[in-house]
Amino acid sequence: ENHEEMLSSKSNRLTEALEEANKLFEKVCRAREAALDAQFLVLASNLGKEKANELHSEMTSFDSSAFAEDLLTLMGINRTEVEENDSEPGGFLPCDAWQKVGEEALKYFRRAPTFHYMLGSFKSDPPVAKQRIERQKKASRGEAKQIMPAQLKKMEESHEEATEKEVERILGILQTLFESDPDTPISFFDFVIDPNSFSRTVENMFHVSFLIRDGLAEIRLDDDKLPIIEPTKFRNVGEDNRGPGARKQVVMSLTQQEWK
Amino acid sequence: ELVQFLLVKDQKKIPIKRADMLKNVIREYRDACMEIISQAGRILQEVWRGRGLLGWWPPQGLTLLLPQTFGLQLVEIDPKLHSYILVSSLPCAKANHPCRAKEKEKMGLLIVILSFIFMKGNAVKDSTLWEFLRWLRVYPGAGHPPGDPLKPPPTPLSRYLKITPVPLMDPPQFSYQWGPRAAQETSKEEILNFVAKVQGKSPKFWTSQHNEATASQ
Repeated sequence: ENHEEMLSSKSNRLTEALEEANKLFEKVCRAREAALDAQFLVLASNLGKEKANELHSEMTSFDSSAFAEDLLTLMGINRTEVEENDSEPGGFLPCDAWQKVGEEALKYFRRAPTFHYMLGSFKSDPPVAKQRIERQKKASRGEAKQIMPAQLKKMEESHEEATEKEVERILGILQTLFESDPDTPISFFDFVIDPNSFSRTVENMFHVSFLIRDGLAEIRLDDDKLPIIEPTKFRNVGEDNRGPGARKQVVMSLTQQEWK
Repeated sequence: ELVQFLLVKDQKKIPIKRADMLKNVIREYRDACMEIISQAGRILQEVWRGRGLLGWWPPQGLTLLLPQTFGLQLVEIDPKLHSYILVSSLPCAKANHPCRAKEKEKMGLLIVILSFIFMKGNAVKDSTLWEFLRWLRVYPGAGHPPGDPLKPPPTPLSRYLKITPVPLMDPPQFSYQWGPRAAQETSKEEILNFVAKVQGKSPKFWTSQHNEATASQ
């Protein structure tokens, strides 16, 4: 049971256990006890082999109890004076103990971030199997509410139509704004940010991206290198009209912190 | 479509089988299967090169918004079963993804287990592992964080580990080693660095482990 203790180079427990077994064997008179003794010998010799292996590893062998102690320290344990028993040091772990370890751990992994599905426009009839997978994923993503826009439920019914309507609506707003004062540039951030809702802000950015894609609006940088948005002057939306600059794709990321 | 499928399937961190890809997405395009898969892999990687994803992918007209852009690699992790995982192609320390608390806790436990296994010579018995975890207040079956991720049936955490029964043991015992996903997402050198950092020592302190870690580069 106390495997690690026995292996510790400072421990003579294995020797003591063997000596004790020897003494006990003298009293053995039944087969069952002899079998137990044999079982014990197997265990003991396995342990002996492991102990010998540890001696072979050059220089310093790994001390797991020291590692455990250091981990507890990293986790922010509050050590107490009173020790419960020999093998378990006293102390309380804070509730974010493992998060602290995890925070450090992430630096050592090339883990693909768990993808949170935000919004998508589908082809008019997505295959049934795929829908099922995505529904299941959405159901299990209760915590992702902060990223999922509030209107997602409605969206599931008719993605494309709803998106198109929203995009048109936003185009209308943009045009009205622009026409009311053509000389003042409209700050992109002023346009998309909803001061009361992070998810609405993200939604707005999403819809604006359609306008950009379709050439109905364009984003430029003003003298302060801040993005401004305006409806495009030309109404030709054909693919051929895209000049060299038009193929640019931009990724914008906005965290909730930044939004605040 | 396949890219979308892969990204969604990867959420559970369970390897994605090629058979599933065929059944759910590729279907009638079976013959072009490998080409489609490698094309999907290229798209996932290209995101990293700054081409961005706010917009569209011809010809399906998919639009996705991702919390942050990153590069991903599609790696075949089991040539027999033809299953794949997604791995980040950004170097370790730079990748700074948003990560939820529960995920962090799991990664914390995982790195501790992987470290223990490696430092103890690449394989440990389950009894040994649990004895060690007891010191860290982690017990089998306990509900409190980070829970009991080690028991079969396989959970996302145990995909990182290879668990094999030890022959001739009664009651049955298991041997824990690194699994294929662990080998893909991290390395012995990285894990040694972690241990060194926790213990405030140089990685060279543990000579044989250090030799092993640097030899496999």
